[in-house]
Amino acid sequence: MDTLVLFTLNATWQIAALALLALGLALVFGLLRIMNMAHGEFVMLGAYAPVLTAQMGLPALAALPICLIMVGLTALVVERLVVRHLYARMFDSLLATWALSILMREGAELMFGRQFRNVALPVEGVTQIGDVGYPTYRLVVITLVALSFAALWVWYRRSATGLHLRAMVDNPALAQTSGINTARLSTMAFVAGCTFAGLAGLILAPTLGVSPGMGLDALIRSFFALIVGGLGTLEGLAIGALVIGGMQAGLSAAFSQTAGYLGVLILAILFLWRRPDGLYRRR
Amino acid sequence: MGSIVGVNLALLAALLLVPVLGNDFLAWQFGLFLLYGVAAQGVGFAWGRGGFLPLGNALFFGLGAYGAGAVLGATGGALLVNLAAMLAVSLVCGALAFGLAVLLFRGRIGSGPGFSLVTLALVLIAAQIAETTPALTGGFNGLSGFPPLAGLDPFGDLYFAIVALVLIVTFALMMIERLPAGLILRGLVAQEGRLELLGFAPHRVKAWAFAVSAFVTSLAGALYASHQGIVTPQAIGFLLSAELVIWAAVGGRMTPLGPLLGAVAIGWASSSLRDSVAWWEVAVAALFLLVVLFLPGGAMDLVSRALRRVGFARRPRRASPHPAPPSRASHAEGTLMLTDVDLTASGVRILDGLSLTVPPQGVLCVIGPNGAGKTTMLNAITGRLPFQKGAVSLGGRALTGQAAHRMLNHGIGRKMQVPTVFAGLTIAENLQLAMLAGRFRWTHALRSEPLNWQGDTLHALLADPGVPLAAEMDKSAEHLPQGHRQILEFVMTLAPEPRLVLLDEPAAGMSPAETQNMVRLIRDYQSRSGAGILVIEHDMSLVEALATEVAVLHQGRVLAQGPLADIRANPQVAAVYAGGHK
Amino acid sequence: MRLLTITTALFLAMAAGASAEVKLGVLVPDSGPAGLFGPSARQAAQLAADDINASGGINGEPVELRFADVGVPPAQAVEAVQRLWRAEGVQGFVGMHDSAVRAAIVGQLRGQVPYIYTAVYEGGECAPGTWVTGETPAQQLAPVIPWLAENEAASKWYLIGNDYNWPRDTNAAAQAIIAASGGEVVGEEYVPLGSSDFDASLGRIRSSGADAVLVTLVGGDSVGFNIAYAAFGLDAQALRLGTLIEENTLAGIGAANAGRLFASMGYFANIESDAARAYSDRIAAEFGVSAAQPNGMGQSVYDGMMLMAALGNAAGSLDTAAITAIADGTGYTSARGEAVLEGNHVAQTIYLADGSSGGFEVVASFDTVPHGVSCE
Repeated sequence: MDTLVLFTLNATWQIAALALLALGLALVFGLLRIMNMAHGEFVMLGAYAPVLTAQMGLPALAALPICLIMVGLTALVVERLVVRHLYARMFDSLLATWALSILMREGAELMFGRQFRNVALPVEGVTQIGDVGYPTYRLVVITLVALSFAALWVWYRRSATGLHLRAMVDNPALAQTSGINTARLSTMAFVAGCTFAGLAGLILAPTLGVSPGMGLDALIRSFFALIVGGLGTLEGLAIGALVIGGMQAGLSAAFSQTAGYLGVLILAILFLWRRPDGLYRRR
Repeated sequence: MGSIVGVNLALLAALLLVPVLGNDFLAWQFGLFLLYGVAAQGVGFAWGRGGFLPLGNALFFGLGAYGAGAVLGATGGALLVNLAAMLAVSLVCGALAFGLAVLLFRGRIGSGPGFSLVTLALVLIAAQIAETTPALTGGFNGLSGFPPLAGLDPFGDLYFAIVALVLIVTFALMMIERLPAGLILRGLVAQEGRLELLGFAPHRVKAWAFAVSAFVTSLAGALYASHQGIVTPQAIGFLLSAELVIWAAVGGRMTPLGPLLGAVAIGWASSSLRDSVAWWEVAVAALFLLVVLFLPGGAMDLVSRALRRVGFARRPRRASPHPAPPSRASHAEGTLMLTDVDLTASGVRILDGLSLTVPPQGVLCVIGPNGAGKTTMLNAITGRLPFQKGAVSLGGRALTGQAAHRMLNHGIGRKMQVPTVFAGLTIAENLQLAMLAGRFRWTHALRSEPLNWQGDTLHALLADPGVPLAAEMDKSAEHLPQGHRQILEFVMTLAPEPRLVLLDEPAAGMSPAETQNMVRLIRDYQSRSGAGILVIEHDMSLVEALATEVAVLHQGRVLAQGPLADIRANPQVAAVYAGGHK
Repeated sequence: MRLLTITTALFLAMAAGASAEVKLGVLVPDSGPAGLFGPSARQAAQLAADDINASGGINGEPVELRFADVGVPPAQAVEAVQRLWRAEGVQGFVGMHDSAVRAAIVGQLRGQVPYIYTAVYEGGECAPGTWVTGETPAQQLAPVIPWLAENEAASKWYLIGNDYNWPRDTNAAAQAIIAASGGEVVGEEYVPLGSSDFDASLGRIRSSGADAVLVTLVGGDSVGFNIAYAAFGLDAQALRLGTLIEENTLAGIGAANAGRLFASMGYFANIESDAARAYSDRIAAEFGVSAAQPNGMGQSVYDGMMLMAALGNAAGSLDTAAITAIADGTGYTSARGEAVLEGNHVAQTIYLADGSSGGFEVVASFDTVPHGVSCE
């Protein structure tokens, strides 16, 4: 019974963390079709915000606005200089953002050094669920993720900006002639996507080691979650996170971490081959 | 041919100078970059010629390296055995790549990032296996303890073996470009849809490209084992795959020399500058970024543009024409029949119980209002769109469910509504490809005469005063005016002498004079070859001039079919459709 | 400034017709997963060169250092080594890097130039012309596990490491030592390099009832694992012993997550000895704001340099045959204490430190621990 409870909690955590990580990429890759290989670096940048905050001697809460500013500004610069040229060129967006990821990694190394950094847990301690103790912070994050997704879903369906976004994704030329400023919308969407990635880094930083190279893992898992779930919708993201996160948790628990890792890769290959649209298709 | 030999001799001379000018360490260093360069040539070939980007080619590099290491260890480095083994491993890699590509490209994956991500996932899996199965690969610490090939000293004579590999591969890749295989690949990248209509299976063409890419990369890996004396999981990892892509991109993926140049230049600069210039990695990344954004052809693109400006343009050779073998499309026979076809796409029912019989000879004009389903009908016939109910057959043979590239072999040629020609190629090359259609067998891929095939139909068409192409053979098809583009595509459709020709608005965008021309050409072809022609048109003057029979399509079904006079008199037809005159 | 001084001195020496300098190649990871050790390794080497030159150099000739980044894939590392050796005339190498790079280098050097390997590793390097100061699993575990059994009641061990040679060999050695000390192994598992999620493993640790965990994870994996371990409150159930946890990794883990976290290495910055304190002070004085945190990996390069000097001086040259003849029994001192060559490995002092406070406090030290490697 304990094992089952623990496994369920672990799996839920994996899924929630993955959904959080991949959210930014869902926006940038799923909607704007930019294969942002620097997605992991934006996560990394956000994870360094508390480090920078501590370095500047500010209170811990300042990490949030610092994260938004740091990541948002970088994303804006990147969009204006590089990504703007790449909206219809998916291959080139893959290569260019990958070059960017190298630049961002080196930049972080120069600014912060190569060593590991530690970010303190905002909420310490363990909550008892039956006989099992589960880290309280993780439960908080899971709840946060669930609520945010619900809010985001509602916003996307109901708001004017959401409508404009959906129109732009569906038929860019028509959207433009209908008076939607697609250039500005794309910029905003890209910056928003990268900012989500940075926030994910900020939130997850206390549970990981923070170093300039931490982005690669986030990148790969985010991509595969989107591929399996389906591009372009929040539902697809949720389903993808569910399948990938759940499968990795399951295989790791039943067999080994290696099995989990390989399982995710094989599943991704199968989906790319057989169902490139993913599990959830947009109607 | 002369220029290929010349370039390769110059390359040979340059490479042989290296151990003379430098010491044996330089030769050893250079040898490593040359090997990486050959591996990058594999990536460049798939990317530049095949149009898809393999992000995991180190998979084949590593397989070649581990395979070579194992055999060298087992046989003590004996020359012939190991050469054979290297070749065998590389052939296996090529076969593996071929199978993989066929599986992937036959599905819906396309040439886009999906394929790249699959190769990425595969190389990640391979690296993981290499790291964690020491029994097979020596694990993290690598496979070592084997002698180099034929005992050649990596600091001495092995360099010449590497140079030999570089020359063989470069020469072969350059030759491929000049042969039908190269032409077909260029057509694939230029316009995959048109290549399909010419009877080539795109997934198989891509598979061949990937197989060559894997073969080349694997050969480089095999010599790498001798050069290094140790093979570690990095040789089969993502980082190396990424570097291969960067070298190919920066050097130039469109020619075989580009990736070689990229690997040597960047590799050498890296090794000299990495330790002294703290910003070296940043500089390479920034260079890569600039190349991607502003110079997609890489450094070789700059070089060839400069050469062209100085006057070293490649003069197209006019070789003597060869008579072409008969086209498979001209032997087909029979009546095309659609029976009760239902086709729904994106929730809209386009074809609704469509039944049509196309007479095996003569011209059937299909008319109808916009949205009636005319082009969709053609798509259903040629296998471009799947339909849910009903059947299509030609001369009793079922066409239902057959892939689009098979249609030419069944004798069906199609001209699209929006002219699809190979825009990046010259008119001559467009016509060369059209002549390969229906006559090509894989044994022709590496022989030069198929490029000079001449057929009666094409010859007659080019000689016709109404076809303005003969004077512009070396011009790129990209900048043709609309009318000329229509004619080019029309000629390309007829070159394989199909028995059933589907023409989708052949006179669209043409002046009245050009339209008259087109009418004459169609009628001439029909009377000469006895083919059946289905023409979709809006222009009634063309219908009047050509049609032996007319069918009216409305809301996805045939409203009426018969001679033009009957159709004109039909009140139902008048009610739904008033055709126009130009 | 210092570089200028050395260069000027050498120039003057050359101008005065004095003998040439001894060039030593120092191979450190400036990039890659171990890149964070680059700065501390370089600084250790420079300090060592100063000390060697202050006592007359090697055979009267001053030492000059040539650095190369070997945090790159083995093919490139080997290339850097070849360049230093063949093109720049380096006469001996001291290297702190991973075993794959070492295997490649050994294959290239083939004993023609002395090569000293200084990193913690799995043991078993017997190539001619190669000497090792790095700690072996036998050294790090043989005295420590019985001490923990006696002082911390550690008897049920769970072994977790990354899936490659070093952790597997370490665990193999651990099995024997644990059994000998009266304990038992209740679980053993391996995770791929670059893992980020350890929840399943932590669940297994909990249900195994272990009271001690031997951690042979490396780099970011070690940090991630230890953070999650403490988040689940597992430090109450079992202590942790790491054989590759040094000051940087501990900083990444954070004091809050380091409860009952022990580390067993040959060096910690907080060793309470004059030599260790002097080392730390000199690093701070010499390099000021760019002083890197002294740690076992970086500092090991100092030891390697000291051994090279000791061997060179005892043999009268840096010829590997000459050195091999006299190597056995050569000793040197450093911040770690005293070490002596037995065969081609070094018997040295091992320290057991407690990281719970966020910095390492040495709780026990064991002198002249045998290395357990036999090369026949």
